[in-house]
Amino acid sequence: MEVVWAVGQVGAVWLAVVLGLIVLPSALGISLGISEAYMRVLVKTLEWATIRLQKGAKKPQPQVPRTPTANGIIERDETPMEKEIALLHRADFEFSHIFYFCRKGFEAIVEDEVTQRFSSEELLSWNLLTRTNVNFHYISLRLTVVWVIGVIVRYCFLLPLRFTLAAIGITSMIVGTTVVGQLPNGSVKNYLSEVVHLTCSRILVRALSGTIHYHNKENRPQKGGICVANHTSPIDAIILTNDGCYAMVGQVHGGLMGVIQRATVKACPHVWFERSEIKDRHLVTKRLREHVADKSKLPILIFPEGTCINNTSVMMFKKGSFEIGGTIYPVAIKYDPQFGDAFWNSSKYNIVSYLLRIMTSWAIVCNVWYLPPMVRKEDEDAVKFANRVRSAIARQGGLTELPWDGGLKRAKVKDTFKEEQQKNYSKMLVRNGSVG
Amino acid sequence: AGTGGVPRAQPRHLCPFPAVTSEQIEHLHRRFKQLSQDQLTIRKENFDSIPDLEFNPIRGKIVHAFFDKRNLRQESDGLADEINFEDFLTIMSYFRPIEMNMDEEQLDRFRKEKLKFLFHMYDSDHDGKITLQEYRNVVEELLSGNPHLEKESARSIADGAMMEAASICVGQMGPDQVYEGITFEDFLKMWQGIDIETKMHVRFLNVDTIAHCY
Repeated sequence: MEVVWAVGQVGAVWLAVVLGLIVLPSALGISLGISEAYMRVLVKTLEWATIRLQKGAKKPQPQVPRTPTANGIIERDETPMEKEIALLHRADFEFSHIFYFCRKGFEAIVEDEVTQRFSSEELLSWNLLTRTNVNFHYISLRLTVVWVIGVIVRYCFLLPLRFTLAAIGITSMIVGTTVVGQLPNGSVKNYLSEVVHLTCSRILVRALSGTIHYHNKENRPQKGGICVANHTSPIDAIILTNDGCYAMVGQVHGGLMGVIQRATVKACPHVWFERSEIKDRHLVTKRLREHVADKSKLPILIFPEGTCINNTSVMMFKKGSFEIGGTIYPVAIKYDPQFGDAFWNSSKYNIVSYLLRIMTSWAIVCNVWYLPPMVRKEDEDAVKFANRVRSAIARQGGLTELPWDGGLKRAKVKDTFKEEQQKNYSKMLVRNGSVG
Repeated sequence: AGTGGVPRAQPRHLCPFPAVTSEQIEHLHRRFKQLSQDQLTIRKENFDSIPDLEFNPIRGKIVHAFFDKRNLRQESDGLADEINFEDFLTIMSYFRPIEMNMDEEQLDRFRKEKLKFLFHMYDSDHDGKITLQEYRNVVEELLSGNPHLEKESARSIADGAMMEAASICVGQMGPDQVYEGITFEDFLKMWQGIDIETKMHVRFLNVDTIAHCY
C-alpha cells in the first residue's frame, strides 16, 4: 500500500515538473533555456569523443578533410560520353564504346546514385549511438564508459520523458481541436485553433528534443499559398507547424492517425482525401484549387517528392502540386545527422520502430530556410516550374539534385526514360559518321 | 552486426593483384549485401535493382560477365547460377586501378587480365575465338534501342571491323583464305600501344575514417 502511494507521489511530482517546465512554456511560446543547455553539454561530449577517436586511430591521419560521402565512394569521371569515346577512337570504334559502357556499368554496380539515397547518410565520425557504429570499432575504455552512460541516459531518462510529452501533446491536440471544433465558424474559432495547433506542435517538438533554426522568416508562407518542402520523414510536418499554421494535405489513415485527422479537421480546414479519391487526379486538383482560391484559408503544405529521401538530395518533384496555380512558397529542410538520423527508411523500419529510434537519439537538429515565393511563368509548363522550385530548394539546403523519381524506391525505371538515353547514344553514333 | 561475415583474409585468387584495402572490401561487402538483399549469393535477377544499369546497352553482357566461369578463374567452363562474395570480389578485381609500385611483369599481367576479361565478353560461345557473328552480336547490342538504325548498319560496321582486324593480324590474305575469328593473341595485337589500363578501372575515393571536429 505504502509502495503504491509512494509511486503515486513520484508520478505526481514528475507530471508537475513536466507540465511546469515544458508544457506551460510551450503554450506561451517562451523558452526556459533547458534545451539549449542540454545541446551545449551534448556538443561538448561529442567533441571530446571525436578527439578520442582521432587519438585512438592507429595510423597517423592526414589533415585533409574527407570527401563527403553524400557524393559517393568512387571517383567518377564526368567526361561526357562523346569526348571519352573520341579519345579512344580508332577505326574499330565499337571496342572503344565497349570500354566506356563497361566502365559505366561497373561503376553503377559498385554504387548507383539512386539506391544510396534510400539508406541513411553515413557519418564522418561516431556520435556515440550504437546504430551508427558500423565503421568504428573499440577505441578505449573511457569512450566505452561514456557510451554506456549515454545509453542509460537515453533509454532510462530521455525516452520516458519524451514518451510522456508525446502522449500529452497528442492528447491535447485531439481534445483541444475537438473542443474548438464545437464553436461556430468565425475569427474566434480560427484564432483558438491556431493557438491549439501551435501549442501542441511545440510540445511534440520538445518531445523529440528538437532544435530548429528558422531562417528568413519574412518569407513565411501566407494565406492562400502553397508551401512546398523536401521530404525526409513524417516529422517534417511537425517541424514546419512549429512555426506557423498550415492546412495539411494527405490520405485518411486508420488508427490513432485517423483519430487525430478527424479531430483536427473540425477545427481547421485540413484537406484529407479518402483512398479512392486520391486515385482521381482531377478531383484532387479541383479540391486543392478551391482551397487555394479562398484567400482566407491557411496555406497548404505539400511534399512533392512523394516519399522519404535520406536528406542528402532532392529527387523529382511530382508535377501535380504545381498545376494548381497560386503562389508557391518553397521551404528547404536540412537535418544535422550528427545528433540523430531523421530519415525514415520505410522498407526497413515500420512507423513504431522509427519513432522509437527517433526518441532514443540525442536530438533532432535541423535548419529550415524559407525561400522567396515563386509563381509559374507564362511560358513555363508544370514540369519546368517544378524543376525550378526544386533547384532553389536544393541550392539553399546544400542538397544534390537528382532527376530520378522517388518511386524508384519500389519500382523499376520507366521505359520512356531508358529509351531517351538510348536515343542519345544512337544519335551520337550517327553524327560521328560511323554508321552507313 | 554491420561487419559480420566480411572475410578478413584475402581470398587466394586476389594475390596476383595489388592488395585491396580492407575498407574497400567492407564497402563492396555492404554493396553486395544490398544487391543480394542479405542473402549469401547473388543471381542475375539481383542486378535488375540497379536503375543506373538500365541505360547501359551492353547491360546483358556485363551481368553475364559476373557469372562467366572463365572470369571466376574456375577450371570449368560455362555459366554459374549464382556467385558469392568472393566471386564478386574476383570480378571487381578486374577493374582495379594501377598501383604505383608495380613492376614490368606485374603490369603486363595486369593488362593481359583486363583484355582477357574484355575478350570473354565478345566470345560468347567460349571457343576462344571472336567470330564475325559474335562481333555482329556485340555491335547490334550496342546499337540496340534505336529503332531508326537498321540491322544493315550494324552488319556493315561489324564486317568493316573484322576486315581491319584480319589485316592487322594476318596481313594480306589470299583469295581463298578465310579469316576464322580473332584469337586472344590477335586481340592483344590489336590493342598494342593503346593505353587501356587507365580506361578500364574504377577508382575508390580515399575512405579513411578521419575524425571530424566541430
